[in-house]
Amino acid sequence: MDSSNDEALDIIVTNVVATFRTRCHLNLRTIALEGTNVIYKPEVGKVLMKLRKPKITASIWSSGKIICTGATSEDEAKLGARRLARCLQKLGFKVRFSAFKVVNVLAVCSMPFAIHLIDFTKNNRPIASYEPELHPAATYRIKHLKATIQVFSTGSLTVTGPNVQNVATAVEQAYPLLFECRKPLCK
Amino acid sequence: MLLFLFSCKDKLFTGSGYLSLKHMSSLNTRGCQGQEILLLCANDTVSYSNSTAVSKKPCMNLIKGLQRVKAICRTLRVNSAIEDLSQTYYKQAYQHDHFFKVKLQKKEVLGGCCVLVSCRLLNWPITMGTISCVLDADVAVVGTIYQEMIKILCIEAPITNVTDIMEAHCQEYKISLPHVPEELAESSKDLTKHAVALVELAADSWIVTGRRPVSIMMAAVYLAWQSLKPNKQRLKFSLDKFCQIAKIDKHKPALKRIAEIKQVLCKLGKEIPWVKEEVTPDNVVRQIEDILKYRYALLRRALRTHEDTLLAECQVSGVELLPEDTAPSQNSKPVDQTPHTSSIEQDGQNVETEKQPEDGGDKSEHSVPQEHKVPEPNWGKRELFAPPCVVNPKKRRRAAQPQMRDVASDEEISDSEIDSYIRSPQEARDFALSQKLLSLSDSKKS
Repeated sequence: MDSSNDEALDIIVTNVVATFRTRCHLNLRTIALEGTNVIYKPEVGKVLMKLRKPKITASIWSSGKIICTGATSEDEAKLGARRLARCLQKLGFKVRFSAFKVVNVLAVCSMPFAIHLIDFTKNNRPIASYEPELHPAATYRIKHLKATIQVFSTGSLTVTGPNVQNVATAVEQAYPLLFECRKPLCK
Repeated sequence: MLLFLFSCKDKLFTGSGYLSLKHMSSLNTRGCQGQEILLLCANDTVSYSNSTAVSKKPCMNLIKGLQRVKAICRTLRVNSAIEDLSQTYYKQAYQHDHFFKVKLQKKEVLGGCCVLVSCRLLNWPITMGTISCVLDADVAVVGTIYQEMIKILCIEAPITNVTDIMEAHCQEYKISLPHVPEELAESSKDLTKHAVALVELAADSWIVTGRRPVSIMMAAVYLAWQSLKPNKQRLKFSLDKFCQIAKIDKHKPALKRIAEIKQVLCKLGKEIPWVKEEVTPDNVVRQIEDILKYRYALLRRALRTHEDTLLAECQVSGVELLPEDTAPSQNSKPVDQTPHTSSIEQDGQNVETEKQPEDGGDKSEHSVPQEHKVPEPNWGKRELFAPPCVVNPKKRRRAAQPQMRDVASDEEISDSEIDSYIRSPQEARDFALSQKLLSLSDSKKS
C-alpha cells in the first residue's frame, strides 16, 4: 500500500450567502437616493447595494430582510452584513442587526485525477445521478449534511452546503468514492 | 358530538348527540338490525371525493394521457412490456400530488418521461433527445420533469450506455443503397460495428465522459464511414457534406469530437510497427481499421512508451519528484484510500480543518500559504490520455487571491468607512435632480 500519494486538497470557498433582518421598515427610495453603490430595482421591489470591503452584494427589501452574497468566508459574510447594517443606521433607519444566518456556501475543489462518471454513478446509485444529455457533471447529494456535490470528469468538484464545515465534510466523504472511479473499469 | 342518521322500520331518524356502543346495540335490539346506521362526526366533514370514491372513474385527461403514452410507445416501436410499464408509471405519477394539478403540457411531457424510464429499466436503448423530439419539447424541460418523476416514484433507472444507442443512431443515417451512390454507400451493419469500436476507444481515452452522446456518435459514424473506404473522395468529404448526404442535422460539437478522436488515433497509430510514415490527423483515417483491430495492444504499448518517456525525462532533468507531487499514473498500483488532509482556502491562505495522523511530516508543507508553493504543473499534461478540458484548459487556473488579513466577524467598523457609502446632502440633491432631468428627457423622447 502506497500512502505517500496523500495530497492536500484545497477547498476554495467562492461564495457565502447569508441573510439577516433589520427589524424595521426600510424606505428603498431613501437608500437609493442617499446611498452610493446602490442599484434600485422598483420592478422587483428591492435595492442592490455593493460594498467594496468585503466585496459583497446585498439585496435589500423594504420589509427589512437582507441577503448578502459574494463573501468568501462566514466571518467575512458577517462583517459585511454588520457594515451594511451600520450604513443603513447612518442613513437614518432604526436598524437592529438580528437573525443573521449563513444559508449557503459554495466551494470548489479539484481532484488530481479524472473521474469516470458512469462508474461513479453506477457504484453510488441512487445518491448519485448523471444525465450527460442535460449536464456534464454527476450530482451526488448527501442528505444528512444537506450538501450537493457536482462531480466533473476532469476531477473538479463544485460543492454547496449550509456551512463551511458541512462542505468540508462532504468532500472528505466523497473522496474515497471518487478515488475508486479514477480509472475506467477494466474489461 | 355525532350527527347520526339511521332507518328503522321504514322510518328515517336523524339527530345529534353522543352515541355510545350501548346505544348502538340498543338500536339493534329494537328491530333496526340490518338497517343502515350512518354516523357522521361533526368535526370531520366527509369530502365529496371520499364519499364517491367507490364509484370513481378515471378522469378524461388521465385517459387521454394514457392514450398518448400508448401512441408514443407505438411511434418508438417498443415492446408491450415497456408499454404496460409506462402506463403503470403514468397512472402513479398522474395521481401523485406533485403532478396532479400541473398543466396538460407538463402532463404530456410526463408521459414521455414514463416511456423513457420504462425503456431504461427494460434495457431498451433510447436517448432523452429522441423523447424530446417525439414530444416536440425542450430537452431541458423533459430532463427536469424526468428527474422529478424518478424522485417521486423512487425509481432507480440505469443510465444508457452510448455504445448501446449506437445501433439505433446509425440507422438514422441514410448512407446505404439506394439513398446514396454506390461509391459513398456503406451497409448499416459495417458502419455500426466500426462506429461502436470508435466510441469504445473514445470512452477508454476520456473523450466520452461528461460529453453529450449525440456529438460523439456523429463523430464516430463520420470517421467510421471514412475509414471503411479511405479513398481520396471520402477523405475530402467534410462533416457538413456528410450530414447533407446522410440527411441528418449536423451537431457543431461533433467537429471538436472528431479532432479529439483523431488525436487519440494518432497516439495509437504511432505504435503500429509496420507504419513507417508519421501519423498525423490528416492521414490517420487510413490506419483506423488497423488501430481498431489491435486497439488494446496499441493502448498498452502507448501507455508503456509514455511511462518510459516520463521516466527518461525525470532522469535527464535530474529532479527527484517528491511523492506528493506525482499524479497517479494510469498503470500505478492500487493506492491506499485513506481520506486525505483537506484544507479550506480563503483568500489564498490555507487553513487546515482536519488532520490525518498518517503523514505528520507533510502537515507543515500543506499549511504554507498558496503563493509560496511551487505551482503544480497541470496533471493532465503528464497523462497520455486525460479529459481534453484538463489537457487544454480554456480558463486560467484559479489564481491566488491578493493577500488579505484574516477577517474577524466582530471587528470594529470605523465611521469613516461607512461614510464612504453615504452621499452628502449636496450629492443627494444633485443626484435627485439628475434623475428628474433624465426621466423628463426620456418622457419627451417617447
